[in-house]
Amino acid sequence: MRHLFRRECKALWHSPWQLALVSYIPLIGVIALWWLFSAGLPRQLPVAVVDLDNSQISRMLTRQLSANAVIAPRSFANEAAAIEAMRQAQVYGLVILPYQLRKDLLTSKQPTIDIRYNSQFLLVGKLLSSQLQLSLAEGLTQIGEVSLLLKGANKATVDVSLTPISNQTTALFNRNNNYVGFLVPPILIALWQLLSMLVFVNSVNAELIPQGERYYLARNIWPKVWVKVLFYSPIMLVHSGFILVWLYHYLALPVSGSLWLLLLAQAFMLMALWLLVLVIFMIMRDSARTVSFCTALFAPAFAFMGITFPVNDMPILAKWWRLVMPSSHYIDSHVSVVSYGVGLPQVLTQISSYWGFLLLLPLLYVLGRQAQKIPPQGQVSLPVNLEVNR
Amino acid sequence: MNFWQLIVAECKAILADKAIVMTLFGGVLFYSVLYPLPYLNQVPTEQQVVVVDHDNSSLSRLVTRHADASAKIKILANVNSIDQAQTWIDQGKAHGLLVIPANFRRDLLLGKGATLSYGGDASYFLIYSAVAEGLVSAGIDASKQVQLIGLLARGQNPQLALQAVNSVNINSVPAFNPSLGYTPYVVPGLFLLILHQTLLIGTGILGAGQWRKSGYWQQVRPVTLVLARLSVFMMIYALFSSFYLGFCFYWYKVSVVATVVEVGLFMLPFLLATGSLGIYLSSLFNRRELPTQLYLLVSMPILFVSGFVWPIALIPEPLVLASQVIPAVPAIMGMLELNQLGAGWSAVMPKWLQLWGLFAVFATMAIVAIARKQKSVSVTS
Repeated sequence: MRHLFRRECKALWHSPWQLALVSYIPLIGVIALWWLFSAGLPRQLPVAVVDLDNSQISRMLTRQLSANAVIAPRSFANEAAAIEAMRQAQVYGLVILPYQLRKDLLTSKQPTIDIRYNSQFLLVGKLLSSQLQLSLAEGLTQIGEVSLLLKGANKATVDVSLTPISNQTTALFNRNNNYVGFLVPPILIALWQLLSMLVFVNSVNAELIPQGERYYLARNIWPKVWVKVLFYSPIMLVHSGFILVWLYHYLALPVSGSLWLLLLAQAFMLMALWLLVLVIFMIMRDSARTVSFCTALFAPAFAFMGITFPVNDMPILAKWWRLVMPSSHYIDSHVSVVSYGVGLPQVLTQISSYWGFLLLLPLLYVLGRQAQKIPPQGQVSLPVNLEVNR
Repeated sequence: MNFWQLIVAECKAILADKAIVMTLFGGVLFYSVLYPLPYLNQVPTEQQVVVVDHDNSSLSRLVTRHADASAKIKILANVNSIDQAQTWIDQGKAHGLLVIPANFRRDLLLGKGATLSYGGDASYFLIYSAVAEGLVSAGIDASKQVQLIGLLARGQNPQLALQAVNSVNINSVPAFNPSLGYTPYVVPGLFLLILHQTLLIGTGILGAGQWRKSGYWQQVRPVTLVLARLSVFMMIYALFSSFYLGFCFYWYKVSVVATVVEVGLFMLPFLLATGSLGIYLSSLFNRRELPTQLYLLVSMPILFVSGFVWPIALIPEPLVLASQVIPAVPAIMGMLELNQLGAGWSAVMPKWLQLWGLFAVFATMAIVAIARKQKSVSVTS
């Protein structure tokens, strides 16, 4: 057993790429992706304001907009210029305060304030849409207040009759809608899954024995695979642990449960991932093709996690595909522990959702037996020449 | 070996390589189905919400019914306490809660005002925004109804009362992606990235496989080889681009504004720059499995730095500047402006020229790199 470990160490040491994959590439990836989103809260998003009225009220509304942290109003003289700026993505929204807004309000006609927001950039657009309406509504309430006071209403009753029901909206588990807390953990988990997959694929690919046109595996492949699992699991868990410590200790994102539970869930995710990789490897038995196939399989894992787009609204096929990805199983535990602070029993129940992967074990055994059937040496093994040599 | 023979040799080398064929043809087809798959329903609807009704009056039930009537919300149950609602949320059965305070109706009738509290699970932002939007609009609706009843009770003319309640119309309309759908948002940028990454992988595997062995690539001038390889990949990618930007955009209901000529004109330097970058980078690989792995790892950062998921203004300046040398970054933004926002050709001209500039630089680098490879391999052999 010990010599197998030593062999694994040596293989790792002599492969610069593999060494990079377990050392500095994860660090660079994690820090770079965090840095990209480090602003956390979308603020000061440019919005075009076309003030066709230029009255006291329209200027007050513009000031209301600039008081909102999300909105940075930019003045435009006419609609055409504003639309042009919006088409070039220089501004993400457009507010048109109509001509004679003040007069219409005073003479109790219903003026219309037009808002357009860029929904091609969905994230920014949705945020601006709600914030623009919020700011304008706040400004318009003040106008209503003045008009009620002028009609001789009691100061105490003015607020209530303007907005009898006030709303209090709370973003549970992520109070200030911080994108670092929402988006970065699943992205980093997706990256970590890709890295773990690559490390393991590279490691098992080294065990292929070329014979004729195909590759085969040695008789003692299983102990080697076990050693690989035991060798690389702690290494990859150190990286995922680093991600957790970085996010929830150094950046101090809120976390209600225990990070050890997450580490446990990650260990199970690794096992499931490596089982899947082994099956693909045994079926393909060709290094470049295994890498290509695993890449194709795991590259879209992030989309299937259900963080950006809710799982309940995915089509049934996507829900099934989601179950194939170990990361989607893990992310449920991640959210439960980080947001809801669940304990060990619930995490264990969630881990039991991996049961489907156990079905791969007998398949793996059969495939392994197939792969070990090396044809007798007598066969002439001519490398196929694919080059067009002229 | 003349140019046409070289082109034929290149085609054969690409088609005979199973890993390249699998990545290019298989990958492009597979991703066109798999990536948009989770988003096919476009908009999150019917999010589960529990109600904590401490009032149990006609008005509180009206608010609950109105909330349930919203397409975004499905009222699951009426629970007794906030603690109980929390267990529902912790178990993942519900994603939001609506709390109606005690004496809600009484306070409103007495003109005291009341507060409705909403909570949404912000671990999932789309769920949170759907819950918040649905509940807030139900609350505002109830508020207006109460206001209207109050005004009418004071003897106000119904028409005037309606007008007093809605003094201003706010006409808020989404532009460019009118349905607020998720595939029109993700697909245009993502598919350009897929083209970019598969092109890099294809040229990478082809190069990495060839440099080790002597072959036809040594018998031609580096300039000719780069030109021939680019021509072959351009032919393949003209096909892929038509499939992605033509059929897939139509299939996934992406709004398309630009003309075919404009799109083609913009794609040309993008594909050329990407292809020559791929050829140059392929000279740095010596194993065929490496390009796929490296390009896989950088694809997520490229996607996020391109500026359609997370606004460019919020990305740290050094990252934005550094990313400008990746052809996908100016191409994704330029293509979105041209094809989805309808900015017109003059607006994307700087990005178009930038892509041509990248092509010039990368093509030169590729030629120099191949010349060096040819020398080093002929020396060793």
